[in-house]
Amino acid sequence: MEKYGLYLGCNIPFKAPDIEQSFRKVFPALGIEVTDLPGAGCCPAWGTAPSFDLTTWCAVSGRNITIAEDLDVPIMTGCNSCFGVLSEAKHFIEADASRKKAVNEKLGLINRQFKGTSDIYHISHVLYEKVGLDKIKESLKYDLSGLKVAVQPGCHILWPSDVYHVKEKNSFFPTQLKELVEALGASAPHYSRLEACCGMGGMRSTDVEKSLELFKTKLLSIKEEIDPDCIVTTCSSCFLQFDMSQKTLKERGEIDFEIPVFYYTQLLALAMGFDPANVAALCVTPRDAIIAEIQSEARKVREQEPLMTLAPSIDR
Amino acid sequence: MPAIVLDSDKIQDSVKRIMEYGGTGVLKCVQCGACSAVCPGVKAGFPVLCRLLIKKLLEGQFEELVEETSTWGCQACNRCTEVCPQGVRPQEVVFAYRRYQASELAFSSSATTSQMNLYGTGHAVFTEAGPLREKVGLPAKAPTSAYDEKAQKEIQTLLDNSPMGELGLF
Amino acid sequence: MAKVGVYVCHCGSNIAGVIDVEAVRAFAEGLPDVAVARKDLFMCSDSGQEMIKQDIRDGLVDKVVVAACTPRTHEPIFRGALSAGGLNKYLFEMANIRDQDSWVHAQDPEGATRKAKLLVASAVGKAARLRPLEEKYVDVTKAALVIGGGVAGIFSALELAKMGFKTYLVEKEPSIGGVMAMLDKTFPTNDCSACILTPVMVEAGNHPNIELLTYSEVEDVEGYIGNFNVKVRRKQAYVDWARCTGCGACAEKCPSKTPDEFNMGLSNRKAAYIHFPQAVPKKAVVDMAHCKSCGGREIGTEPKISEKTGKPLLAPCEKACPADAINRTLQWDPAGEIKEIKVGTIVVATGFQVMDKGWFKEMAPDNKNVITALQMERLISATGPTGGKLLRPSDNEKPHTLTFVSCVGSRDEKHHTYCSRVCCMYMIKQARLIKEKYPDVNIYMHFIDVRSPGKDYDEYYTGARKMGINILRGKVGGLEVLPGDNLRVLAYDLDACAPVEYESDLVILATAMELPPTAKKLAQTLGLQFCGSNFFKELHPKLGPVETSTEGIFLAGCCQGPKDIPDTVSQAKGAAAAAAVPLCQGRVKIEPIISEVHTEKCSGCGICVPLCPYNAISLKPYAEKPRAIIDITQCKGCGVCTAACPSAAIVLHGYEEDQIFAQIAALTA
Repeated sequence: MEKYGLYLGCNIPFKAPDIEQSFRKVFPALGIEVTDLPGAGCCPAWGTAPSFDLTTWCAVSGRNITIAEDLDVPIMTGCNSCFGVLSEAKHFIEADASRKKAVNEKLGLINRQFKGTSDIYHISHVLYEKVGLDKIKESLKYDLSGLKVAVQPGCHILWPSDVYHVKEKNSFFPTQLKELVEALGASAPHYSRLEACCGMGGMRSTDVEKSLELFKTKLLSIKEEIDPDCIVTTCSSCFLQFDMSQKTLKERGEIDFEIPVFYYTQLLALAMGFDPANVAALCVTPRDAIIAEIQSEARKVREQEPLMTLAPSIDR
Repeated sequence: MPAIVLDSDKIQDSVKRIMEYGGTGVLKCVQCGACSAVCPGVKAGFPVLCRLLIKKLLEGQFEELVEETSTWGCQACNRCTEVCPQGVRPQEVVFAYRRYQASELAFSSSATTSQMNLYGTGHAVFTEAGPLREKVGLPAKAPTSAYDEKAQKEIQTLLDNSPMGELGLF
Repeated sequence: MAKVGVYVCHCGSNIAGVIDVEAVRAFAEGLPDVAVARKDLFMCSDSGQEMIKQDIRDGLVDKVVVAACTPRTHEPIFRGALSAGGLNKYLFEMANIRDQDSWVHAQDPEGATRKAKLLVASAVGKAARLRPLEEKYVDVTKAALVIGGGVAGIFSALELAKMGFKTYLVEKEPSIGGVMAMLDKTFPTNDCSACILTPVMVEAGNHPNIELLTYSEVEDVEGYIGNFNVKVRRKQAYVDWARCTGCGACAEKCPSKTPDEFNMGLSNRKAAYIHFPQAVPKKAVVDMAHCKSCGGREIGTEPKISEKTGKPLLAPCEKACPADAINRTLQWDPAGEIKEIKVGTIVVATGFQVMDKGWFKEMAPDNKNVITALQMERLISATGPTGGKLLRPSDNEKPHTLTFVSCVGSRDEKHHTYCSRVCCMYMIKQARLIKEKYPDVNIYMHFIDVRSPGKDYDEYYTGARKMGINILRGKVGGLEVLPGDNLRVLAYDLDACAPVEYESDLVILATAMELPPTAKKLAQTLGLQFCGSNFFKELHPKLGPVETSTEGIFLAGCCQGPKDIPDTVSQAKGAAAAAAVPLCQGRVKIEPIISEVHTEKCSGCGICVPLCPYNAISLKPYAEKPRAIIDITQCKGCGVCTAACPSAAIVLHGYEEDQIFAQIAALTA
């Protein structure tokens, strides 16, 4: 069984632990062993060390990476920002011998050393490249046919593509998340602002109004062009923005609709039959109705093996 | 708008400093504007990002921009880097400038909280999430630095021995 | 004892600005064998040369060293001075104290002066031992080959033909005409491209001195200036061109369709087709890769006989041909045929290709309404897929908003760093033509900056602004695909310092010009070099713009670098003039700096034979034993054989052993 170190970051364990739970449910069921990275901290977020000092950024990221190196596992993370920050830091360290030396001097203070033996993946890379669409299809207990999904891959999984070793065929017109959604039976039509930024992150902390305006432009493109049943993302920051900010806009009377939002592995876990109380329990934008629809009797896949053989209990 | 007084010493100083902070591609810029055409920050109303920031730096306006808030609207999405025809990597220039601004403590108070969180718990974003975690069937304490004193010490050591430590934020 | 004259040049401040010229002169004066040492501001000036000539006439010197710039440009000048003074011109040696000294050591004048002294000493050491050499001549074949039948090749061929030389014009497509034949109109005059090109194509086709070899490619070239042996492969057309009248009946009846290259894939052509309506020669070809062999009419088989009529069942193309030019029963050789020709000089005019839109991922390359500018030419051309009506590819509807994007693949380190030179102007041309015909169409043009250096070009550009065409400075960052195959343009207005967003119906990409990948093979065949931009490299960027490093081979048109039609025609005529020079002279000089075998010393071991990169050496019987012999017309004087010969039987004239050892001794003293 392939084994990955699960890098949690900040948002997922503290704001959306049901996403964390969805990782812990779906990956073992799909044949991927997930191990914790004890003591891992912040990646560090763009607004922290990366905005203060390049070497400090690389050292803090490097510390996280060495935890995986010590366990001899590659890293997988569910947060686009973490993926971007860790990948870029690794690139900076490896591209410049003097920086590597400086970083290892810093890490030496805490008895660590960056070796570069652990690659960094996004959970959607592991699902798309390592698990594969066929295996995902085989694992489904519910068929999502007829469901229309707007996909939101997010930015940091796409660019700068020269730093990432899993690449989209065209980073401006990404298809991996679309294919992952289609593997569940749902459709994922194109909308024009597919690769546009959701406005979360540093922009939101700097000026929430500007962030909301950018978000609204994107949301309206989704609503007006494809009017989906739900929005699915593989970025925890995008998830939070879509989940929180629709409510704000609705309360202000700027929009008159709300579209349920899922992290991809939440939707996958639901389609695999896991309990929504574990894997999709926390949200601001209501999604009870669509969860009930997803796990309805009519959608049950016939001749399916009992769930337990697919998903051995990993209760901790 | 007052005229920009061009001063070659100031220009050279500006280029040298931005490169030292990590904006190494700044001199490759031909001011085509492709970066700003796709920048979500520019679109959202943070005009002094990407090409305009680079232009101002190339005209020697290094210290003049210290209070500019546009740079903090950068999402680090790197779409600029992906479209840049000259390999400038504009996002790295923006972050290099932020590092100068940070060294002058020219950032918002909300950003201070993130730094203190990072120093205290190892997480820039941290809230006590025990009940939420238990609700979805997870242990109350996540296996991260938040509940690991040794990990926190390590992160604090790294931060103490950095230019961030010298700013007196912690 | 030799009487060497040393002449040190200041080259203005090029040399004297770094090197202490007087110190070098004084040093030279003290060297053995040196009779006089002088200096001058410019040794290449008349007065400088006169100084050398006078010293020769006065009997002061019998060998000459000039310490100056590079022999690449100046050796012929000084050799000329020796001849004029009455000395064998090969008794001359140059010390390059500029390119290889003052220019590269500008920050170290003392070191540069030291190095100049060493270089001069080395040159003196060699010069003192030089021996006179005699030039030989060989006759040339008074015919020329032009490779590539675009506007450059056509004009080169016509010029050579008009001077009276037999000229072969080889073109890989069925017709000559090249890219210019695909263009609608031409800037800045809006002349119809076909209208001005067709008469020239016809003239080339009818000229008694021009032999058109279309649907053909150069396969192999051997020989040297004056006497090239060329193998040309004529691809199999499966049509007897001697009979074909170009009526097009075969194409009409052919049921098999494939994207039409002439229309840049915007429409289909048949497997049996005529290249384009004004083709020269106007002959049909059957493209066997797309032929369905209707009715089982495989090439080289007897037709089935109809049970009803008792007549043979023929394929539609052969049945339709009124001239009996298509006979599928014949054993056509799929490899075509090889034609061998002999020529004295060659003009390479193989042109360019435009980059495919697929390279530009941010530009929605999968969308049908994103097209290249060359596709746009076909879209507005009367002979194009829409008959000249402006209709967009996705739905054949008239677009109301058009976007032109410049610098797509040009000025981009991910693709090509150079400027393609013509895009700004042809985009303005396309915009103007559309605006003239459809004033209601909105046109937005995005440039990093507008480049219009040419006669009447800038007026053409400012005229576009006056017509209401919207011109924005700033590179387009990307396109987003909207429902209905419309596109959202993500641009930036450099002047307003603001991002720009709008919906467009049709986006035209000015993709970069580049050499096609087939150019690599031709370069190997001809010994051509590539420049930094990956076009064919000319001999000198300023002074040798049509010559190449291979004597007798010349360049014309966009294979040497992007250029517009006026520049292409100028270069084509220039290349023809240069290619005609050896043909006019009737003989070419053989450089005496080549190798020679001392047959008595040769052991006949044959080591040198396979080592020679020019196939100049063979073993021939001498006193009934095999001995190496060098063909003086093939030898380029590289010296490989001289170095390899175990018997020291081969001498390279001008680089003899005692000369080289004297140089080494001087440099290591």
